[in-house]
Amino acid sequence: MSTIASFGFWSFVGIVAGIYTLFALGVQVQFGYAGLLNFGQVAFMGIGAYTMAILVVKEDLNMWLAAGCGIVLAILAALLLGLPTLRLRADYFAITTIAFSEILRYVATNEDRLTGGSQGTINLAGIGQASQYDGAWQSFLGKVERNLHVGSDAAMLILVWTVALLAVAAVTLLMRTPWGRVLKSIREDEDAATSLGKNVFLYKLQALALGAALGALAGVFYAWQFSFFSPDDFAPLITFFAWMIVILGGLGRAWTVPVGAVVFGVIFAGTRFFDFPPFSLLDSTERAYVRLIVIGLVIIGLMLFRPQGIFGSRKEMVLE
Amino acid sequence: MSTAILEVQDVVRRFGGLRAVDEASFHVDEGSITALIGPNGAGKSTLFNVISGFLSAERGTVQFEGRRIDRAPAHRIAQRGLVRTFQVPRALTRMSVLDNVLLAATRHPGERLNELVLHPGRARSRERRARERAAELLALFRLDTHAGEYAGVLSGGQRKLLDFARVLMAEPRLVLLDEPMAGVNPALGRQLVEHVLRLRTETGMTFLFVEHDLDIVMEASDRVIVMNEGHVIATGTPAEIRGDQRVVDAYLGTARAT
Amino acid sequence: MFMQLLANGLVTGSVIALAAAGVSIVYGILRLVNFAYGDYMTFGAFTAVYFNVTLELPIVIATLLAMLATALLSVAFELVLWRPLRARNAGFMSLFLVSVGLALVLRHVIYLVAGPQSRTYTVDPYKVYVIGSARLSGAQGIAIVVAAVGIVLVGILIARTGVGRMMRALADDLPLAAVAGVRTSRVILAAWIVSGLLAGLAGVLAGLVQTSFDPQLGFTLLLPIFAAVILGGIGNVYGALVGGLTLGLVMELSTWPELHGGVDPTYKPVVAFGALILVLLLRPQGLFGRARVV
Repeated sequence: MSTIASFGFWSFVGIVAGIYTLFALGVQVQFGYAGLLNFGQVAFMGIGAYTMAILVVKEDLNMWLAAGCGIVLAILAALLLGLPTLRLRADYFAITTIAFSEILRYVATNEDRLTGGSQGTINLAGIGQASQYDGAWQSFLGKVERNLHVGSDAAMLILVWTVALLAVAAVTLLMRTPWGRVLKSIREDEDAATSLGKNVFLYKLQALALGAALGALAGVFYAWQFSFFSPDDFAPLITFFAWMIVILGGLGRAWTVPVGAVVFGVIFAGTRFFDFPPFSLLDSTERAYVRLIVIGLVIIGLMLFRPQGIFGSRKEMVLE
Repeated sequence: MSTAILEVQDVVRRFGGLRAVDEASFHVDEGSITALIGPNGAGKSTLFNVISGFLSAERGTVQFEGRRIDRAPAHRIAQRGLVRTFQVPRALTRMSVLDNVLLAATRHPGERLNELVLHPGRARSRERRARERAAELLALFRLDTHAGEYAGVLSGGQRKLLDFARVLMAEPRLVLLDEPMAGVNPALGRQLVEHVLRLRTETGMTFLFVEHDLDIVMEASDRVIVMNEGHVIATGTPAEIRGDQRVVDAYLGTARAT
Repeated sequence: MFMQLLANGLVTGSVIALAAAGVSIVYGILRLVNFAYGDYMTFGAFTAVYFNVTLELPIVIATLLAMLATALLSVAFELVLWRPLRARNAGFMSLFLVSVGLALVLRHVIYLVAGPQSRTYTVDPYKVYVIGSARLSGAQGIAIVVAAVGIVLVGILIARTGVGRMMRALADDLPLAAVAGVRTSRVILAAWIVSGLLAGLAGVLAGLVQTSFDPQLGFTLLLPIFAAVILGGIGNVYGALVGGLTLGLVMELSTWPELHGGVDPTYKPVVAFGALILVLLLRPQGLFGRARVV
């Protein structure tokens, strides 16, 4: 049982926070910057993870290539989703995105031969056969460990956060370009942007695709971290976590996402250590419920008392 | 002899069974300042929306500079040089005043992802030129001191000026002004009229505006188009319109649909 | 086979229709997409379990009490959450997100209090209704009849009562109604009460129809319910009713073997979503919604 001071435990929290940074960054791009209500982000995470795993195990493809394919496929899926649905009004769009992620989850659960079904990737190569997809990753991780003289947890932590912070930096720079300016204007007032000659639909599509790519990248890291996953790992709840992170940090600012992710990680993991009443009276399943109740209350509390998030400005809220 | 920069022919547009625009036809001369007037519910705003592409016409055609635009999407029409404002100024409140104006820059490679990646130099130089022009426009409208602030802090009158600066940044050839004087104090109104007149003289820009303030209309416009119940009932110079009995009847509500 | 699927479709459809009406009533007036609605239903279902199984009250009494309890819950949230948020001019986004948070809280409080195990109501499991070639269990039969009655009552409420008229007025134009002297806060409260009653009823019916259920009951139905609401044109209660019945029928009938072997029954929700997306592509405002104006 991990103690509150154990490095292994907190580095695990850190790794999850890093993965969620990438994942929530996608939502930040889509909603924080472009104003899109994508509630199906977890679908892209699943596409990234499953595509890589399936291509490696079933087609014997090079793992790095397979990971790239996962990201490309997520982008294509985003385009497929966005083309018919981005013209819908915001709330309808939101619901179709949830429907989209649920459809994919259903397919992943039921198409046993393709995805291993509800049992997950353990089943990918058929019953009784080994289905490892991250062999190449493990050896790469080993190399990093040896070169940096760190353990596997630390190596993973460093790798995830390097990529995550690079992504945050890239998004920040991108949003300072004229392209980013148009995106922000779409969030503010689509009609005004249209009246100035901007093809709003095209920009929305690009934002959705970019967010999807980030989600898929998070999915690939998720797959590497856990070595095994199943469709239930990609339930709508995960998307809501990303939304909480983005709102917690503050909308429209990429660099607040890692902070939000770390806070989320701490809330999520820290509740394990509440060894005082009334929490000490609960068993671990019940603590899991409490954790989700806390997350829900945080979301409600944020919207009630600090909708601009930790780093947002009150002014911006007022101007909305 | 002036050529028509805008030709509207027999446009029909309904809203829930009612014909908001009912076979409206008129033209706007290039380089003119034309007013579109009429009592409430005459269909002026709907027509504006149809011309600028925000609504589709069920029947009829709209031609801009000789090319049909009635089937074109709104952003394409704006790119071709037909730019409009909205009744309530659409300042992008959570963006800076400068960004608001920069947004209107036309043919900016930096706004396209592929160009950003492949030709960053072109994007940079276009952005430089855009910033210079934006600074000029902001200075012209005395908004330069607010350039870095959120547009949301501007007063109503300043937002109207910002709207105008933005429209000009887009270097349009035809500007559709939707009730530019609404909610504007007389001093500011005067400023706007002067800007419009100057622009017309210096650049040959054409203006079509919807307005309820008939004094401004009489004073500033070359030609007036009068609408009632969805169609055009009279066109002419301000003097001709003033004396036209049909127009008086329309405003007094004594006109019957013919 | 077809008759059986038709009957099943009517059962599923009526439950969805009732719930969709409840969502629509609130959405129409407040423009609030209540993501916690599924969990309001679960609350109703579990409260009925308490009355019916623990206190051993007849299912009808238990249902009525559960409906009341859900209505009270609904009103409580309006007073504690939604009204303060509206007073702060919270936008549609904030409200949606709060409802997401609320859904999480409500569902897991139910998990905490009631536990994750499946529940069943104490009703006669052997009663079967036979209509033509269709067989309906006692629970399914009750569900159709009750839902039908509920649907008719909702229809009458909206169309003929003073309260219903005011709700429609508010749904049409809230600021105008306020200016015209309608006591908006009272009507809004009435809307939440009706919404809560319907949620409770739909929750119990869903539990009856599924025979056994756990705290995920409402949430799993939420998307088909939203699909029905959108299908019917958001804010339009009659549309929601039609949308619900349509979706229920589409879902069940899609598994008909005559249709190229039929869809795998586990994919029924996918069919519902697919139908929704298809309709939205062809008619973005839904079957009965009004077209958008710039």
